[in-house]
Amino acid sequence: MDARQATQTLEVIRTLMERTTQYQLLTARASLVAGSLAGAGALAFLGLDAADPGHFGAVWAVVFVGSLAATVVGTLTRGRASGEEVWSRQARTVLFALAPALFAALVLTVFFFARGWHLWLPGVWMLCYAQGALATSAYAPAPIRWLGLAVLLLGGPTLFLSPEWSVGMMGLVFGAGHLTLGAVLLTRERRQASLRLHTDVA
Amino acid sequence: MNAIKHLFADLDPLLHERGRMAIVSVLAAVDSLTFTELRDQLEMTDGNLSVHLQKLDEKGYVAIDKKFVGKRPQTTCRLTKAGREAFTRYLDHLEAIVRQGRTKPGA
Repeated sequence: MDARQATQTLEVIRTLMERTTQYQLLTARASLVAGSLAGAGALAFLGLDAADPGHFGAVWAVVFVGSLAATVVGTLTRGRASGEEVWSRQARTVLFALAPALFAALVLTVFFFARGWHLWLPGVWMLCYAQGALATSAYAPAPIRWLGLAVLLLGGPTLFLSPEWSVGMMGLVFGAGHLTLGAVLLTRERRQASLRLHTDVA
Repeated sequence: MNAIKHLFADLDPLLHERGRMAIVSVLAAVDSLTFTELRDQLEMTDGNLSVHLQKLDEKGYVAIDKKFVGKRPQTTCRLTKAGREAFTRYLDHLEAIVRQGRTKPGA
């Protein structure tokens, strides 16, 4: 064995350990769809009134449901293509880690809407999203950790900025953030596809 | 014997087989896995996985527990302390070979 073979063996070991602990079915395409939807949602307010709770709620509900649907479809498609179990141990772990932040976001959304404070919600959503992303970071690909950290750092200022900034910040953080995440995941997917791990070790 | 050959000779032969190395790598990342999870994770056949696990069990690197969940038998595998130590030593040796190669280009 020479240094090159030792390096390759270490790389295979690292990949095996990551595959065992990390949730691998998050797709770049789902992230790109979520980013595009968030960007389109922010742009929709060029013609809609963000101060109107109906407009605000409808647009972001469509963005959320669309992103969720893209994630579900992307996960099922990728799981089927790779022959991996979708409801795996890793998937359950990630979902349980996400659940508290999702629940907090839901409760706070109802609370803020009920009082007509919906324009303050983007900052709240960002902080909840960041909590969820960072809670899953031990089981998710590394870029999720960086996105979570960035959203956490931007969530505070968004909450303290005046509500006029809220829609723009949504487009910037969730739109540009997810598009960047999608681009990074796409690069990783292509790199991993070329590794052909299983045929090498099994 | 040069330094790299010496390091190579020190590599644990039981772990320096790609199937067993893969099993130990996967088990090192978690507390335990069922036989089925391990088989699916590594895309090995039942027979192949059983043979490798038996060898690792004989050496005391892996502990295999068999129990019933409801009416179905379930086999759980986990890395023992000795197995974790051997895996750490194996990684140390690989890293030493990489370092040695860097200090002696073309080695």
